Amino acid sequence: MFLLSLTRIIRFALQNFYRNIWLSLVTITIIVLTLLSLTSLIILNAGVNQTIITVKNKIDVSLYFTPNIDTETVSLIKEQIGKYATVAEVNLINATQALEKFKNAHANDSTIKEALNQLETNPLGPTLTIKAKNANLYPQILEQIKKDKLDTLAEEIDYDDNKLVIEKLSVIGQKIKKVGFIISIVFTIISLLVVFNTIRIGIYTHREEINIMKLVGAENWFVRLPFLFEGALYAFIGCLFFWLIFYLAVSLIQPFLSSFLIDINFNIMSYIWDHFIYIFGFELILMIVLNTISGFVAISKYLRT
Amino acid sequence: MIEFRNVTKIYEPNVHALNHATFHIKPGEFVFLVGQSGTGKTTAVRLLISEEKVSNGRIIVGGWDITHIRRKHIPLLRRQIGVVWQDYKLLPKKTVFENVAFALEVSGAEKERIQKIVPQVLKIVGLQDKTNRYPTQLSGGEQQRVSIARSLVHRPKILVADEPTGNLDTVNTREIIDILQKINEFGTTVLLVTHNREIVNSLKKRVITLEKGLVISDQEKGRYML
Repeated sequence: MFLLSLTRIIRFALQNFYRNIWLSLVTITIIVLTLLSLTSLIILNAGVNQTIITVKNKIDVSLYFTPNIDTETVSLIKEQIGKYATVAEVNLINATQALEKFKNAHANDSTIKEALNQLETNPLGPTLTIKAKNANLYPQILEQIKKDKLDTLAEEIDYDDNKLVIEKLSVIGQKIKKVGFIISIVFTIISLLVVFNTIRIGIYTHREEINIMKLVGAENWFVRLPFLFEGALYAFIGCLFFWLIFYLAVSLIQPFLSSFLIDINFNIMSYIWDHFIYIFGFELILMIVLNTISGFVAISKYLRT
Repeated sequence: MIEFRNVTKIYEPNVHALNHATFHIKPGEFVFLVGQSGTGKTTAVRLLISEEKVSNGRIIVGGWDITHIRRKHIPLLRRQIGVVWQDYKLLPKKTVFENVAFALEVSGAEKERIQKIVPQVLKIVGLQDKTNRYPTQLSGGEQQRVSIARSLVHRPKILVADEPTGNLDTVNTREIIDILQKINEFGTTVLLVTHNREIVNSLKKRVITLEKGLVISDQEKGRYML
Protein backbone atom coordinates (compact mmCIF):
# COMPACT_ATOMS: atom_id res chain seq x y z
CA MET A 1 0.00 0.00 0.00
CA PHE A 2 2.76 2.40 1.02
CA LEU A 3 4.86 1.47 -2.00
CA LEU A 4 1.82 1.78 -4.27
CA SER A 5 1.02 5.25 -2.93
CA LEU A 6 4.66 6.30 -3.16
CA THR A 7 4.82 5.20 -6.79
CA ARG A 8 1.64 7.18 -7.52
CA ILE A 9 2.93 10.26 -5.73
CA ILE A 10 6.15 10.17 -7.77
CA ARG A 11 4.19 9.59 -10.98
CA PHE A 12 1.82 12.50 -10.26
CA ALA A 13 4.79 14.75 -9.45
CA LEU A 14 6.51 13.86 -12.73
CA GLN A 15 3.26 14.34 -14.66
CA ASN A 16 2.75 17.72 -13.02
CA PHE A 17 6.30 18.61 -13.90
CA TYR A 18 6.14 17.95 -17.62
CA ARG A 19 2.47 18.78 -18.19
CA ASN A 20 3.08 22.22 -16.69
CA ILE A 21 6.43 22.53 -18.40
CA TRP A 22 6.41 26.34 -18.66
CA LEU A 23 5.70 26.80 -15.00
CA SER A 24 8.39 24.22 -14.23
CA LEU A 25 10.90 26.04 -16.44
CA VAL A 26 10.12 29.40 -14.82
CA THR A 27 10.57 27.93 -11.34
CA ILE A 28 13.85 26.27 -12.33
CA THR A 29 15.07 29.54 -13.87
CA ILE A 30 14.36 31.35 -10.60
CA ILE A 31 16.27 28.66 -8.70
CA VAL A 32 19.20 28.94 -11.13
CA LEU A 33 19.29 32.74 -10.68
CA THR A 34 19.12 32.36 -6.91
CA LEU A 35 22.00 29.90 -6.98
CA LEU A 36 23.96 32.26 -9.22
CA SER A 37 23.55 34.98 -6.63
CA LEU A 38 24.46 32.65 -3.75
CA THR A 39 27.44 31.06 -5.44
CA SER A 40 28.77 34.43 -6.60
CA LEU A 41 28.64 35.64 -3.01
CA ILE A 42 30.45 32.54 -1.77
CA ILE A 43 33.18 32.96 -4.37
CA LEU A 44 33.40 36.72 -3.81
CA ASN A 45 33.87 36.13 -0.09
CA ALA A 46 36.59 33.58 -0.79
CA GLY A 47 38.25 36.03 -3.22
CA VAL A 48 38.21 38.86 -0.69
CA ASN A 49 39.68 36.58 1.98
CA GLN A 50 42.39 35.43 -0.40
CA THR A 51 43.16 39.06 -1.34
CA ILE A 52 43.57 40.03 2.29
CA ILE A 53 45.83 37.04 2.93
CA THR A 54 47.91 37.86 -0.15
CA VAL A 55 48.32 41.52 0.74
CA LYS A 56 49.14 40.69 4.34
CA ASN A 57 51.79 38.25 3.14
CA LYS A 58 53.46 41.08 1.27
CA ILE A 59 53.96 43.06 4.48
CA ASP A 60 57.24 42.67 6.32
CA VAL A 61 59.68 44.54 8.55
CA SER A 62 63.11 45.23 7.12
CA LEU A 63 66.25 45.74 9.15
CA TYR A 64 68.87 47.57 7.07
CA PHE A 65 72.47 47.24 8.21
CA THR A 66 75.51 49.35 7.34
CA PRO A 67 77.80 47.97 4.63
CA ASN A 68 80.65 47.40 7.09
CA ILE A 69 78.80 45.04 9.43
CA ASP A 70 80.22 41.52 9.42
CA THR A 71 78.15 38.65 8.09
CA GLU A 72 78.47 36.60 11.29
CA THR A 73 76.77 39.30 13.37
CA VAL A 74 73.90 39.53 10.89
CA SER A 75 73.51 35.75 10.96
CA LEU A 76 73.37 35.78 14.75
CA ILE A 77 70.71 38.51 14.71
CA LYS A 78 68.76 36.52 12.13
CA GLU A 79 68.95 33.43 14.31
CA GLN A 80 67.83 35.34 17.39
CA ILE A 81 64.84 36.98 15.66
CA GLY A 82 63.90 33.65 14.09
CA LYS A 83 63.36 32.28 17.58
CA TYR A 84 60.62 34.82 18.41
CA ALA A 85 57.26 33.08 18.80
CA THR A 86 55.63 35.86 16.82
CA VAL A 87 57.90 35.49 13.79
CA ALA A 88 57.01 33.24 10.89
CA GLU A 89 60.08 33.75 8.74
CA VAL A 90 63.36 35.73 8.62
CA ASN A 91 65.27 36.15 5.36
CA LEU A 92 68.74 37.48 4.85
CA ILE A 93 69.50 39.54 1.79
CA ASN A 94 73.23 40.11 1.49
CA ALA A 95 74.75 43.38 0.26
CA THR A 96 75.15 42.22 -3.35
CA GLN A 97 71.54 40.97 -3.53
CA ALA A 98 70.35 44.21 -1.89
CA LEU A 99 72.13 46.27 -4.55
CA GLU A 100 70.72 44.12 -7.32
CA LYS A 101 67.25 44.50 -5.90
CA PHE A 102 67.67 48.24 -5.58
CA LYS A 103 68.90 48.51 -9.17
CA ASN A 104 65.93 46.50 -10.42
CA ALA A 105 63.50 48.60 -8.43
CA HIS A 106 64.91 51.80 -9.94
CA ALA A 107 65.72 50.52 -13.41
CA ASN A 108 63.84 53.36 -15.02
CA ASP A 109 65.33 56.12 -12.89
CA SER A 110 68.34 57.44 -14.82
CA THR A 111 69.53 59.73 -11.99
CA ILE A 112 69.83 56.87 -9.50
CA LYS A 113 71.41 54.69 -12.16
CA GLU A 114 74.02 57.34 -12.88
CA ALA A 115 74.69 57.92 -9.18
CA LEU A 116 75.24 54.20 -8.62
CA ASN A 117 77.62 54.01 -11.56
CA GLN A 118 79.77 56.76 -10.10
CA LEU A 119 80.15 54.89 -6.80
CA GLU A 120 83.08 52.49 -6.67
CA THR A 121 81.80 50.42 -3.77
CA ASN A 122 78.43 48.96 -2.84
CA PRO A 123 76.73 51.57 -0.68
CA LEU A 124 74.21 49.09 0.68
CA GLY A 125 74.56 46.69 3.55
CA PRO A 126 72.78 43.41 4.21
CA THR A 127 69.06 43.40 5.06
CA LEU A 128 66.91 41.14 7.19
CA THR A 129 63.26 40.85 6.17
CA ILE A 130 60.98 39.61 8.90
CA LYS A 131 57.51 38.21 8.39
CA ALA A 132 55.14 37.89 11.35
CA LYS A 133 52.77 35.00 11.89
CA ASN A 134 49.98 37.55 11.93
CA ALA A 135 49.84 41.12 10.62
CA ASN A 136 48.84 42.36 14.08
CA LEU A 137 52.04 41.01 15.63
CA TYR A 138 54.48 43.45 13.98
CA PRO A 139 54.38 45.97 16.86
CA GLN A 140 55.29 43.16 19.27
CA ILE A 141 58.19 42.04 17.08
CA LEU A 142 59.53 45.58 16.93
CA GLU A 143 59.21 45.93 20.67
CA GLN A 144 61.11 42.68 21.18
CA ILE A 145 63.87 43.82 18.76
CA LYS A 146 64.22 47.05 20.73
CA LYS A 147 64.16 45.19 24.03
CA ASP A 148 66.94 42.88 22.81
CA LYS A 149 68.79 46.03 21.59
CA LEU A 150 69.16 44.54 18.12
CA ASP A 151 67.98 47.80 16.59
CA THR A 152 71.19 49.53 17.69
CA LEU A 153 73.11 47.43 15.19
CA ALA A 154 70.77 48.31 12.34
CA GLU A 155 71.06 51.46 10.31
CA GLU A 156 67.31 51.67 9.78
CA ILE A 157 64.15 49.76 10.57
CA ASP A 158 61.60 50.01 7.82
CA TYR A 159 58.33 49.53 9.56
CA ASP A 160 56.85 52.95 10.19
CA ASP A 161 56.28 53.31 6.44
CA ASN A 162 54.30 50.09 6.42
CA LYS A 163 52.68 50.59 9.77
CA LEU A 164 49.93 52.81 8.46
CA VAL A 165 49.28 50.53 5.50
CA ILE A 166 49.09 47.49 7.77
CA GLU A 167 46.72 49.18 10.16
CA LYS A 168 44.52 50.46 7.33
CA LEU A 169 44.54 47.10 5.65
CA SER A 170 43.49 45.35 8.84
CA VAL A 171 40.61 47.79 9.27
CA ILE A 172 39.60 47.50 5.61
CA GLY A 173 39.83 43.73 5.77
CA GLN A 174 37.58 43.58 8.79
CA LYS A 175 35.13 46.02 7.21
CA ILE A 176 35.03 44.05 3.98
CA LYS A 177 34.29 40.90 5.96
CA LYS A 178 31.52 42.59 7.93
CA VAL A 179 29.95 44.31 4.90
CA GLY A 180 30.36 41.15 2.81
CA PHE A 181 28.65 39.13 5.50
CA ILE A 182 25.73 41.56 5.72
CA ILE A 183 25.40 41.76 1.92
CA SER A 184 25.51 37.95 1.74
CA ILE A 185 22.78 37.64 4.33
CA VAL A 186 20.59 40.28 2.63
CA PHE A 187 21.04 38.74 -0.82
CA THR A 188 20.45 35.26 0.51
CA ILE A 189 17.21 36.35 2.19
CA ILE A 190 16.04 38.14 -0.99
CA SER A 191 16.87 35.08 -3.09
CA LEU A 192 15.11 32.74 -0.70
CA LEU A 193 12.03 34.96 -0.66
CA VAL A 194 11.95 34.94 -4.45
CA VAL A 195 12.07 31.13 -4.53
CA PHE A 196 9.50 30.93 -1.73
CA ASN A 197 7.09 33.13 -3.67
CA THR A 198 7.68 31.32 -6.94
CA ILE A 199 6.71 28.03 -5.32
CA ARG A 200 3.69 29.72 -3.73
CA ILE A 201 2.54 31.08 -7.09
CA GLY A 202 3.01 27.61 -8.58
CA ILE A 203 0.76 26.11 -5.92
CA TYR A 204 -1.70 28.98 -6.34
CA THR A 205 -2.17 28.05 -10.00
CA HIS A 206 -3.07 24.54 -8.85
CA ARG A 207 -5.57 25.61 -6.19
CA GLU A 208 -8.58 24.47 -8.22
CA GLU A 209 -7.02 21.08 -8.80
CA ILE A 210 -6.21 20.74 -5.12
CA ASN A 211 -9.83 21.47 -4.31
CA ILE A 212 -11.03 18.88 -6.85
CA MET A 213 -8.66 16.25 -5.46
CA LYS A 214 -10.08 16.87 -2.01
CA LEU A 215 -13.65 16.68 -3.29
CA VAL A 216 -13.12 13.27 -4.87
CA GLY A 217 -11.85 11.89 -1.59
CA ALA A 218 -8.10 12.44 -1.57
CA GLU A 219 -6.52 12.70 1.85
CA ASN A 220 -4.35 15.71 2.57
CA TRP A 221 -1.05 13.85 2.41
CA PHE A 222 -1.99 12.36 -0.96
CA VAL A 223 -2.63 15.84 -2.36
CA ARG A 224 0.36 17.43 -0.68
CA LEU A 225 3.15 14.94 -1.33
CA PRO A 226 3.25 15.14 -5.16
CA PHE A 227 3.63 18.91 -4.91
CA LEU A 228 6.39 18.60 -2.31
CA PHE A 229 8.15 15.98 -4.40
CA GLU A 230 7.80 18.24 -7.43
CA GLY A 231 9.38 21.08 -5.43
CA ALA A 232 12.34 18.85 -4.53
CA LEU A 233 12.62 17.90 -8.19
CA TYR A 234 12.77 21.59 -9.15
CA ALA A 235 15.57 22.06 -6.61
CA PHE A 236 17.54 19.10 -7.92
CA ILE A 237 17.19 20.00 -11.60
CA GLY A 238 17.82 23.68 -10.80
CA CYS A 239 21.08 22.80 -9.02
CA LEU A 240 22.23 20.54 -11.86
CA PHE A 241 21.39 23.15 -14.49
CA PHE A 242 23.05 25.91 -12.53
CA TRP A 243 26.30 24.03 -12.02
CA LEU A 244 26.43 23.00 -15.65
CA ILE A 245 25.96 26.61 -16.79
CA PHE A 246 28.28 27.96 -14.11
CA TYR A 247 31.01 25.47 -14.96
CA LEU A 248 30.86 26.38 -18.65
CA ALA A 249 30.81 30.11 -17.88
CA VAL A 250 33.78 29.91 -15.50
CA SER A 251 35.72 27.75 -17.98
CA LEU A 252 35.25 30.45 -20.58
CA ILE A 253 36.20 33.42 -18.41
CA GLN A 254 38.89 31.76 -16.29
CA PRO A 255 41.80 32.69 -18.65
CA PHE A 256 40.81 36.38 -18.47
CA LEU A 257 40.27 36.22 -14.73
CA SER A 258 43.60 34.47 -14.19
CA SER A 259 45.55 37.34 -15.73
CA PHE A 260 43.45 39.79 -13.73
CA LEU A 261 43.80 37.92 -10.44
CA ILE A 262 47.42 36.85 -10.91
CA ASP A 263 48.66 39.03 -8.04
CA ILE A 264 46.29 37.57 -5.48
CA ASN A 265 46.81 33.95 -6.49
CA PHE A 266 43.08 33.10 -6.67
CA ASN A 267 41.81 30.59 -9.20
CA ILE A 268 38.00 30.32 -9.26
CA MET A 269 37.97 26.94 -10.98
CA SER A 270 40.39 25.43 -8.45
CA TYR A 271 38.39 26.94 -5.62
CA ILE A 272 35.17 25.45 -7.00
CA TRP A 273 36.67 21.99 -7.43
CA ASP A 274 38.24 22.06 -3.96
CA HIS A 275 34.93 22.99 -2.34
CA PHE A 276 32.45 21.54 -4.86
CA ILE A 277 30.93 18.89 -2.58
CA TYR A 278 30.36 21.41 0.21
CA ILE A 279 28.92 24.20 -1.96
CA PHE A 280 26.81 21.89 -4.15
CA GLY A 281 25.62 19.89 -1.13
CA PHE A 282 24.80 23.04 0.81
CA GLU A 283 22.92 24.60 -2.10
CA LEU A 284 21.06 21.41 -2.98
CA ILE A 285 19.94 20.81 0.61
CA LEU A 286 19.05 24.49 1.03
CA MET A 287 16.90 24.50 -2.13
CA ILE A 288 15.19 21.20 -1.33
CA VAL A 289 14.39 22.35 2.21
CA LEU A 290 13.27 25.76 0.99
CA ASN A 291 11.06 24.36 -1.78
CA THR A 292 9.55 21.78 0.53
CA ILE A 293 8.77 24.32 3.26
CA SER A 294 7.40 26.82 0.71
CA GLY A 295 5.23 24.13 -0.87
CA PHE A 296 4.06 22.87 2.50
CA VAL A 297 3.07 26.34 3.69
CA ALA A 298 1.44 27.31 0.38
CA ILE A 299 -0.58 24.14 -0.06
CA SER A 300 -1.85 24.08 3.54
CA LYS A 301 -3.98 27.10 2.72
CA TYR A 302 -5.94 25.09 0.13
CA LEU A 303 -6.30 21.92 2.15
CA ARG A 304 -8.61 23.27 4.80
CA THR A 305 -11.93 22.44 3.13
CA MET B 1 -30.24 6.90 3.14
CA ILE B 2 -29.98 10.69 3.48
CA GLU B 3 -31.56 12.44 6.43
CA PHE B 4 -31.63 16.16 7.12
CA ARG B 5 -33.01 16.88 10.60
CA ASN B 6 -33.75 20.53 11.27
CA VAL B 7 -30.63 21.56 9.43
CA THR B 8 -29.73 25.24 9.58
CA LYS B 9 -26.74 26.79 7.93
CA ILE B 10 -25.92 30.39 8.72
CA TYR B 11 -23.21 32.27 6.86
CA GLU B 12 -21.71 35.27 8.61
CA PRO B 13 -22.96 37.82 9.38
CA ASN B 14 -26.53 36.55 9.36
CA VAL B 15 -27.47 34.80 6.11
CA HIS B 16 -29.67 31.74 6.60
CA ALA B 17 -28.77 29.57 3.59
CA LEU B 18 -30.78 26.68 5.07
CA ASN B 19 -33.43 27.13 7.73
CA HIS B 20 -34.59 24.11 9.74
CA ALA B 21 -34.55 21.94 6.62
CA THR B 22 -35.90 18.47 7.25
CA PHE B 23 -36.28 15.64 4.72
CA HIS B 24 -35.50 11.97 4.42
CA ILE B 25 -34.47 10.27 1.20
CA LYS B 26 -34.88 6.49 1.13
CA PRO B 27 -32.47 4.02 -0.53
CA GLY B 28 -32.93 3.74 -4.30
CA GLU B 29 -34.99 6.92 -4.62
CA PHE B 30 -34.58 9.49 -7.39
CA VAL B 31 -35.20 12.90 -5.84
CA PHE B 32 -35.14 16.40 -7.26
CA LEU B 33 -34.06 19.24 -5.01
CA VAL B 34 -35.38 22.36 -6.66
CA GLY B 35 -35.58 26.04 -6.00
CA GLN B 36 -34.49 29.34 -7.41
CA SER B 37 -30.90 30.58 -7.23
CA GLY B 38 -29.74 31.30 -3.70
CA THR B 39 -32.34 29.15 -1.95
CA GLY B 40 -29.81 26.80 -0.36
CA LYS B 41 -29.68 23.89 -2.84
CA THR B 42 -25.91 23.96 -3.28
CA THR B 43 -25.45 24.57 0.43
CA ALA B 44 -27.33 21.32 1.06
CA VAL B 45 -24.92 19.48 -1.25
CA ARG B 46 -21.90 21.09 0.39
CA LEU B 47 -23.17 20.04 3.80
CA LEU B 48 -23.74 16.52 2.54
CA ILE B 49 -20.08 16.09 1.54
CA SER B 50 -18.81 18.05 4.56
CA GLU B 51 -17.49 20.92 2.51
CA GLU B 52 -19.34 23.03 5.05
CA LYS B 53 -20.34 22.46 8.66
CA VAL B 54 -23.93 22.73 9.82
CA SER B 55 -24.80 25.55 12.20
CA ASN B 56 -27.66 23.56 13.76
CA GLY B 57 -29.43 20.27 13.23
CA ARG B 58 -28.13 16.88 12.14
CA ILE B 59 -27.26 15.13 8.89
CA ILE B 60 -27.22 11.35 8.65
CA VAL B 61 -25.90 9.55 5.58
CA GLY B 62 -26.33 5.78 5.32
CA GLY B 63 -26.76 5.60 9.09
CA TRP B 64 -23.61 7.63 9.69
CA ASP B 65 -24.12 10.86 11.59
CA ILE B 66 -21.81 13.24 9.77
CA THR B 67 -22.92 16.38 11.63
CA HIS B 68 -19.65 16.63 13.53
CA ILE B 69 -17.55 14.42 11.29
CA ARG B 70 -13.83 14.48 12.09
CA ARG B 71 -11.61 16.00 9.46
CA LYS B 72 -9.70 12.76 8.87
CA HIS B 73 -12.96 10.93 8.05
CA ILE B 74 -14.10 13.40 5.38
CA PRO B 75 -12.18 11.67 2.51
CA LEU B 76 -13.88 8.41 3.48
CA LEU B 77 -17.31 10.06 3.31
CA ARG B 78 -16.57 11.62 -0.05
CA ARG B 79 -15.57 8.26 -1.49
CA GLN B 80 -18.96 6.89 -0.52
CA ILE B 81 -20.99 9.65 -2.15
CA GLY B 82 -20.62 10.22 -5.87
CA VAL B 83 -20.88 13.91 -6.66
CA VAL B 84 -21.36 15.61 -10.02
CA TRP B 85 -20.97 19.37 -10.30
CA GLN B 86 -22.23 21.94 -12.76
CA ASP B 87 -18.66 22.97 -13.63
CA TYR B 88 -17.54 19.30 -13.94
CA LYS B 89 -14.49 19.81 -11.70
CA LEU B 90 -12.13 17.78 -13.86
CA LEU B 91 -8.37 17.92 -13.48
CA PRO B 92 -7.28 19.80 -16.60
CA LYS B 93 -3.83 18.21 -16.86
CA LYS B 94 -5.13 14.66 -16.63
CA THR B 95 -6.70 12.61 -19.40
CA VAL B 96 -10.24 11.20 -19.25
CA PHE B 97 -8.89 7.88 -18.01
CA GLU B 98 -6.61 9.52 -15.44
CA ASN B 99 -9.40 11.76 -14.14
CA VAL B 100 -11.61 8.78 -13.49
CA ALA B 101 -8.76 6.63 -12.19
CA PHE B 102 -7.69 9.38 -9.80
CA ALA B 103 -10.76 8.85 -7.63
CA LEU B 104 -9.69 5.23 -7.20
CA GLU B 105 -6.02 5.99 -6.79
CA VAL B 106 -6.65 8.29 -3.83
CA SER B 107 -8.23 5.37 -2.00
CA GLY B 108 -5.21 3.16 -2.65
CA ALA B 109 -6.92 0.88 -5.18
CA GLU B 110 -4.71 -1.69 -6.89
CA LYS B 111 -3.64 -1.06 -10.47
CA GLU B 112 -5.48 -4.16 -11.73
CA ARG B 113 -8.74 -2.98 -10.17
CA ILE B 114 -8.34 0.45 -11.74
CA GLN B 115 -7.65 -1.09 -15.13
CA LYS B 116 -10.86 -3.10 -14.78
CA ILE B 117 -13.28 -0.54 -13.32
CA VAL B 118 -12.35 2.63 -15.24
CA PRO B 119 -13.16 1.22 -18.71
CA GLN B 120 -16.42 -0.16 -17.31
CA VAL B 121 -17.66 3.20 -16.00
CA LEU B 122 -16.45 4.99 -19.12
CA LYS B 123 -18.51 2.54 -21.14
CA ILE B 124 -21.60 3.30 -19.03
CA VAL B 125 -21.28 6.99 -19.95
CA GLY B 126 -20.30 6.23 -23.55
CA LEU B 127 -16.75 7.58 -23.48
CA GLN B 128 -14.81 4.37 -23.98
CA ASP B 129 -13.26 5.77 -27.18
CA LYS B 130 -12.04 9.02 -25.65
CA THR B 131 -9.96 7.77 -22.75
CA ASN B 132 -6.78 9.59 -23.79
CA ARG B 133 -8.36 12.99 -24.40
CA TYR B 134 -7.83 15.90 -22.06
CA PRO B 135 -10.91 17.74 -20.69
CA THR B 136 -10.26 20.71 -22.96
CA GLN B 137 -10.58 18.39 -25.96
CA LEU B 138 -14.13 17.40 -24.98
CA SER B 139 -17.53 19.06 -25.31
CA GLY B 140 -19.42 20.21 -22.21
CA GLY B 141 -21.67 17.16 -22.32
CA GLU B 142 -18.69 14.83 -22.61
CA GLN B 143 -16.94 16.54 -19.73
CA GLN B 144 -20.02 16.07 -17.59
CA ARG B 145 -20.10 12.40 -18.54
CA VAL B 146 -16.48 12.05 -17.39
CA SER B 147 -17.53 13.65 -14.14
CA ILE B 148 -20.37 11.12 -13.78
CA ALA B 149 -18.03 8.24 -14.61
CA ARG B 150 -15.65 9.44 -11.91
CA SER B 151 -18.47 9.61 -9.39
CA LEU B 152 -19.32 5.97 -10.10
CA VAL B 153 -15.93 4.33 -9.63
CA HIS B 154 -16.48 3.62 -5.95
CA ARG B 155 -19.90 2.12 -6.76
CA PRO B 156 -21.53 4.65 -4.43
CA LYS B 157 -24.94 4.06 -2.88
CA ILE B 158 -25.66 7.78 -3.26
CA LEU B 159 -25.10 10.03 -6.25
CA VAL B 160 -25.55 13.76 -5.81
CA ALA B 161 -25.67 15.92 -8.92
CA ASP B 162 -25.57 19.67 -8.38
CA GLU B 163 -27.00 21.41 -11.47
CA PRO B 164 -25.29 18.86 -13.77
CA THR B 165 -27.06 20.24 -16.83
CA GLY B 166 -26.65 23.90 -15.99
CA ASN B 167 -24.04 24.46 -18.71
CA LEU B 168 -25.47 22.10 -21.31
CA ASP B 169 -27.77 22.32 -24.32
CA THR B 170 -31.04 20.39 -24.56
CA VAL B 171 -29.60 17.32 -26.28
CA ASN B 172 -26.73 16.94 -23.81
CA THR B 173 -29.09 17.64 -20.93
CA ARG B 174 -31.33 14.78 -22.03
CA GLU B 175 -28.35 12.44 -22.33
CA ILE B 176 -27.08 13.29 -18.86
CA ILE B 177 -30.53 12.79 -17.32
CA ASP B 178 -30.84 9.42 -19.10
CA ILE B 179 -27.50 8.34 -17.65
CA LEU B 180 -28.58 9.42 -14.16
CA GLN B 181 -31.83 7.51 -14.54
CA LYS B 182 -29.92 4.43 -15.67
CA ILE B 183 -27.67 4.71 -12.61
CA ASN B 184 -30.75 5.00 -10.40
CA GLU B 185 -32.21 1.88 -12.00
CA PHE B 186 -29.11 -0.02 -10.88
CA GLY B 187 -30.13 0.84 -7.29
CA THR B 188 -28.17 4.00 -6.59
CA THR B 189 -29.99 6.75 -4.71
CA VAL B 190 -29.88 9.91 -6.83
CA LEU B 191 -30.32 13.43 -5.52
CA LEU B 192 -30.53 15.81 -8.44
CA VAL B 193 -30.27 19.51 -7.69
CA THR B 194 -31.70 21.60 -10.49
CA HIS B 195 -33.88 24.50 -11.48
CA ASN B 196 -34.67 23.03 -14.88
CA ARG B 197 -38.49 22.96 -14.95
CA GLU B 198 -38.79 20.70 -18.04
CA ILE B 199 -36.69 17.92 -16.62
CA VAL B 200 -38.46 17.95 -13.30
CA ASN B 201 -41.87 17.89 -14.87
CA SER B 202 -41.02 15.21 -17.44
CA LEU B 203 -39.61 12.66 -15.01
CA LYS B 204 -42.44 12.73 -12.47
CA LYS B 205 -40.19 11.83 -9.53
CA ARG B 206 -40.16 13.06 -5.93
CA VAL B 207 -39.55 16.81 -5.72
CA ILE B 208 -38.32 18.71 -2.65
CA THR B 209 -38.70 22.44 -3.09
CA LEU B 210 -36.61 25.00 -1.23
CA GLU B 211 -37.36 28.67 -0.85
CA LYS B 212 -35.19 31.03 1.16
CA GLY B 213 -33.62 28.05 2.90
CA LEU B 214 -36.95 26.54 3.92
CA VAL B 215 -38.43 23.28 2.61
CA ILE B 216 -41.74 24.56 1.31
CA SER B 217 -42.89 21.35 -0.35
CA ASP B 218 -41.98 17.67 -0.59
CA GLN B 219 -44.10 15.73 -3.12
CA GLU B 220 -43.98 12.22 -4.55
CA LYS B 221 -44.26 12.45 -8.37
CA GLY B 222 -44.12 16.19 -7.98
CA ARG B 223 -43.82 19.09 -10.37
CA TYR B 224 -41.70 22.19 -10.53
CA MET B 225 -43.99 24.62 -8.76
CA LEU B 226 -42.03 27.90 -8.43
